[in-house]
Amino acid sequence: MAIFLFAISTFVSAQGLGSASGTIKDDGRLAASTKQLNQFFRRFNAEESVDGNTRYNPGDDLYRNPDLRKGFFEVIFDKETSGIPDNLKNQFIDDVLSDTYPQYIRFHQEGWFSEVQADFFFKGKRERASIIFKLQPQGLGYEWIIDAVSFPPFKNLFNKPEGDDKDFLHPLSHELGFMNLRRAFEDSDLPESFTRSSFEPDFLTLFLYEMKQNNIRFATVTDVKFHFFQVEGWYFEVSQFNRPGFNTGWLISSLVKLKPGDKESIQNYIYDQK
Amino acid sequence: MKNTFILFLGLFLASSLTVFAQSDDISPARKQAIDSLALEKVKDLSKYIAIIGSKETQFSEANRVMDRAEELFAPDAEMGVSSINTSEIAYYKVRRYFERLMALNYDRVNITWYDIQYISDLERQPDGRYVGVITIYQRFEGTSIETGMNYKDTTKKDITIYVEKKQTQIAGRTIEFWDVMLGDVRVTETSA
Repeated sequence: MAIFLFAISTFVSAQGLGSASGTIKDDGRLAASTKQLNQFFRRFNAEESVDGNTRYNPGDDLYRNPDLRKGFFEVIFDKETSGIPDNLKNQFIDDVLSDTYPQYIRFHQEGWFSEVQADFFFKGKRERASIIFKLQPQGLGYEWIIDAVSFPPFKNLFNKPEGDDKDFLHPLSHELGFMNLRRAFEDSDLPESFTRSSFEPDFLTLFLYEMKQNNIRFATVTDVKFHFFQVEGWYFEVSQFNRPGFNTGWLISSLVKLKPGDKESIQNYIYDQK
Repeated sequence: MKNTFILFLGLFLASSLTVFAQSDDISPARKQAIDSLALEKVKDLSKYIAIIGSKETQFSEANRVMDRAEELFAPDAEMGVSSINTSEIAYYKVRRYFERLMALNYDRVNITWYDIQYISDLERQPDGRYVGVITIYQRFEGTSIETGMNYKDTTKKDITIYVEKKQTQIAGRTIEFWDVMLGDVRVTETSA
């Protein structure tokens, strides 16, 4: 670890910005920092030089070089707060760097997405939404799209009762020309009782509707993280660490070895649509 | 518009031949040439920021430099600024950001840059233009003689760059070239 960090700090870029007031020499901390998610991808896959100044492409000698990758894996984990056990981390690194089946993460492929925390004003009150963004092909390139939103004010808006508590429209309502709809829609506070068994509210549509009605107004983004399911049998989360020292920037903040069914559970937990 | 065209032309003439566009794909060699061009613009921006922030710069000169700096940016570009104490992002139009920088109430201001930067890959967006991000680090130091207050911070600046293939006529010939414009800038105070 120390050797790789030393290498990073030694190979600090020589081309300064050269402003009117001169430049400051980085002591290696900024060089060590994983400064962009783009750099996280490149370090994870070993697609750039140790100092980050040279992009390695297919055909280059060091492109995805296993030793270079091993070095980068020393610097892409959060080592200060996340508490990822060493044995779990080593197991993950062994899997990813396997001689026979090395695994890589890919920007344009399914299996990763972003979770953004953002504040909004909703009916005069500041509320925090969690928005899931995914990359999708569009036109001549790609775009980030909103896949889902979780918004606390909507949380208990739909609370479909179950069993004997659930109101219903009896099966011969049609013979009365559905005259009993009045009871369903006017007398009931829970009109969702009359929906199909599998009904799930679409919070994103609701969110956009409220925004279009000017009931929701954007305030600010407060946090961004990324979730990866691209490595077979593993889930990891990448968060940004802005703190003193050498272990900063976009780093792996959570790591889970997946058992059958875990992927769906984790995804449901992140999407938080219930 | 005329100024912008002259700037494009200047950049075109100044930039390496490898920047000439042959197709819509960007090869590693062309990417490097575009990176250099983008870095030149970022260097210009950092130079302008240092001049605008300096207390020795005359008001009229600062305004002139602000005009130059503004020309580096695509229309509607914004600066999103946050500090260590708050995750809230304050949004400023580029011009407003420069004006605030000029109006800072210090007797002495020193703006310097770390000798490190990071340039992302270029990704194509739906309209066919390419987008990338250049990260640089700035050190700010402001001193107030009266109060003896000395404020320092280091900010990370993630600068959007838009890369677009354009055409120009030179001696009756249509020449294609890649042009770079700066876009939104995220300014984050760091603990460095």
